[in-house]
Amino acid sequence: MDDPTAPFEFLGLTFDWGTILSTLLAMAIVVIVSVVLTRRPTVRPGKRQNVIEYLLDFTNGIVDGQLQKKQARQFGLYAFTLFFFVVVSNEMGLLLQLQGTDGVTYIKSPTASPIVTMTLAIMSLMVAHGMGVQKLGFKGYLKNMLLTPYSWMLPLNIIEQLANFLTLSLRLFGNIFAGEMLLTLVANSLAWPGHLNGFVTVLALPIEMVWQGFSLFIGGIQAYVFVILTGVFIAQLSGDE
Amino acid sequence: MFGLTTLAANKLPLGNMLFIIISFLLLMLILKKVAYGPLTKVLDERADKISADIDGAELARQDAEKLAVQRQSELADTRQQATKVVADAKASAQKQSDSLISTASDRATLINKQAQTDAEKLKEDAISNAKNDVAALSVAIASKLMQKELSLNDQQALIDAYISDLETK
Repeated sequence: MDDPTAPFEFLGLTFDWGTILSTLLAMAIVVIVSVVLTRRPTVRPGKRQNVIEYLLDFTNGIVDGQLQKKQARQFGLYAFTLFFFVVVSNEMGLLLQLQGTDGVTYIKSPTASPIVTMTLAIMSLMVAHGMGVQKLGFKGYLKNMLLTPYSWMLPLNIIEQLANFLTLSLRLFGNIFAGEMLLTLVANSLAWPGHLNGFVTVLALPIEMVWQGFSLFIGGIQAYVFVILTGVFIAQLSGDE
Repeated sequence: MFGLTTLAANKLPLGNMLFIIISFLLLMLILKKVAYGPLTKVLDERADKISADIDGAELARQDAEKLAVQRQSELADTRQQATKVVADAKASAQKQSDSLISTASDRATLINKQAQTDAEKLKEDAISNAKNDVAALSVAIASKLMQKELSLNDQQALIDAYISDLETK
């Protein structure tokens, strides 16, 4: 399952065109959609504004349900951006996958790559830990994270923090990766003679359509879960639970 | 695609991670500028407006109720006043007509009385005149008789003269 990649070195760091292009495309979609939907916002919303307001209300609802007012306000923008980006990333690969002649998939769901989901998870956990420190102070934060409810649970708590990171990132990755993998398998087995040349857009056939529909659903759910879990971690690390 | 095995075996693509984090932060900034900021502002404005509108509606309702009560009492006052005015007008009209009637009847009585006294006076005058006349006549007759009693002729002449005297009178 190690597909070819197109890595390059820059300033001693390793980059990978597939991930970068996919991420950029997803972000471009997010930006364009929000710019188009939010043009000239008014107190009495129009049709387009209603759509993005629904989205914002949705993420604000997730946040408000878990956090106190002050933290919710701080976390709102992050939750909104995260949900929007993850949803677009999850669904992007269902509609569009571009493969180069060298066999490298340049455009796919960014979240089908463990690097992207792990990075997102690291970021979310950094936000959660940061907000914990901000709220409880460094000492209180450490005590709340490691010695609660009993100090002898310290090892368990350390494992829990590691597990948080892994479950958060690998859940998203696994769902999206598996969905796309199955999509590709179905497409390959349906494409006769089973060999793909040049840039190929994966066309939808009945099975493919059913699985795409299901993956669409999964993508939405996983984005929701990702944001919810981030909120849960913030609440936990801020001692709200 | 980076499988997990690649991750474990090869070097970690740190560049990718940095790229994702930095671009995500940029995305957050851009979204704050184009969507989250304006939308949150608009949502807050709407919430404020709605609560202000609700307060305003409550105030307006109270005002309206107050006004309605005031109007009601004013209306009752006005009705009372109107009744009073009508009653006053009726009473004053009655009074005026009574006084007119009484004046008229007084004057009528007066005129009547005057007429009666006038008539009585006339009558008395006439009677006294007649009395005077009769007395004068009697005196005249008596004097005539005394002057001319010698003869029948004289008498006759006297009577004639008297009669002619009467006629001329």
